[in-house]
Amino acid sequence: MSRIPPRARFGLVLLVGLGLLSLVAGRLFPEVLSSTCPLGMDPTRPDRTVCELAFGGLWVSLAVGLAAGALSTLIGLTVAAVARLSGGTVEQLLLRAVDAVFALPDVLVVMVLQLAGQSLSDAGQVGGLGPFGLMVASLALVGWAGPARMFRNRLATLEAQEYVAAARALGGSGAHLLRVHLWPALRPFALAVFLSRLPAAILTESTVSFFGIARMEPMSLGRYLGTSYAALIYEGGGRVVLPAWALLVLLVLGASLASQALSAAPRRPA
Amino acid sequence: MSAVTQRLARQLVLVPVVAVASYFLMAALPLTTETDAKRQVSKELAASYQRDLGIGEPLGFLRPWEKLFRGERLGTSAQGITGDELLLKLSGSVGVGLMALPLALAWALGFALLRTRWRKGRWAALGDAVPAVAFGTPVFIPALLLAPAVVERGNMLPELCAALVTSVWPGIFLGTLVGDSLETELSRDYVRTALGKGLAQGTVLRRHVLPNVWPALLDAVGPVATSLLAGSFAAERVFGLPYFGQLYVLAVLNKQVAVVVVATTTFASLLVIVSLAVEVLRYVVDPRSREATA
Repeated sequence: MSRIPPRARFGLVLLVGLGLLSLVAGRLFPEVLSSTCPLGMDPTRPDRTVCELAFGGLWVSLAVGLAAGALSTLIGLTVAAVARLSGGTVEQLLLRAVDAVFALPDVLVVMVLQLAGQSLSDAGQVGGLGPFGLMVASLALVGWAGPARMFRNRLATLEAQEYVAAARALGGSGAHLLRVHLWPALRPFALAVFLSRLPAAILTESTVSFFGIARMEPMSLGRYLGTSYAALIYEGGGRVVLPAWALLVLLVLGASLASQALSAAPRRPA
Repeated sequence: MSAVTQRLARQLVLVPVVAVASYFLMAALPLTTETDAKRQVSKELAASYQRDLGIGEPLGFLRPWEKLFRGERLGTSAQGITGDELLLKLSGSVGVGLMALPLALAWALGFALLRTRWRKGRWAALGDAVPAVAFGTPVFIPALLLAPAVVERGNMLPELCAALVTSVWPGIFLGTLVGDSLETELSRDYVRTALGKGLAQGTVLRRHVLPNVWPALLDAVGPVATSLLAGSFAAERVFGLPYFGQLYVLAVLNKQVAVVVVATTTFASLLVIVSLAVEVLRYVVDPRSREATA
């Protein structure tokens, strides 16, 4: 823990704190929240308080972000490893695919993937993937390109190190190099990449849900704001919007601080 | 020049790839409705859907485009759209984006200057917190807060507010990037040498520093253009602006697949045009880019 930079530690504490708060307040003891909420009832759902909906939404947004961030990091890592192990034309093709995915805006592609997934779901062809799984899969399918590019570049840098050249000269195969020599050096970077995907996934999910395209229940923060935005505008919008915004900002602040500090942290001396 | 051509070709290939991929993704989807009771759609609707997408025909993927260029209505209901309407809506969104661009540059300049000043004082943490707050604020949140005051006023006020809320994050992002790049360049030896030889600070900045900051700014233009256009979708919805963003969201919600195919490809083309313009600009203003391709 002492090797973690203070800013990263602050970011991680903030993230874990928000996760625990949303679990305790939003999932385990929602009745406490409903009886003590100072913000009153939600204008469009008179049976629920603003606090219940905000903390419940925070829990869902965090769960979506964690799952999608982890999945897109895993896909990115796999693509980068395959690219570096194969080299040549395969690597170039994969890099072009990364460029193509990277060039399109996340929100648009997730909207199209949600449309496709919901049509398949209505026809019973998605193998039990509910709205939550569908959202995670859509976010991972658009989010892997950034991690793939970052991992590929980091692997190329690590491969130029002398200890890797020595291991290769001693007959180590590509898979052996990756598993024994490169992965331990890549692990902290992988954590930083995962944390950098977390806010991006949460924000994309929020925007898509705000449009009313996702069908997730219980609602995420974005869907909570999006389900009745017209009513929010005219009936005390600030009372409802500000708490959800504050939670979203704190979530993103925690993940961004942790990610930036971890990716900029000096490497441990050998 | 060949490397530039290669990069341009790579960008251009994206348009047909998006057109064909989105078509086949949409064409492969089963035609269903949300409820079990309505799962079997009528034969007329299925036939209309297949005609609209050209499913089962040779070169069927060209069908939405043929209809568009013939001036026919895309889509299987009254929510469809013609090519002229599409262009009109696109120009509305691009207009909002163009209004947002100078606002984003103003945010960028202001934030870069403030960040440089904060770095030396006790407000240094704000330089990191502001970008996180800007990034953590989806466009629809400031839009929801502003909407009650402007939504029914008209006179371009909703458009201006949409541009304002859309410009915040791209502006702060640009400001962070330019501020960092400017600070790095100002600490280099060539700046000290130029100042030591008696050049005025403004001249050093204009002649020596800014040409080295341009590439960083140009690198950010692509993501910023994407953010401005995608961000305008949410702002258009909240402020009730009937432009491209509204069209796209409604097409997705109503499963107007031909409209989705055409609109996605149009959007990708717009981003490719921005990338091409950036590449050309980079070639003009960055001597290193010209030397690398010579």
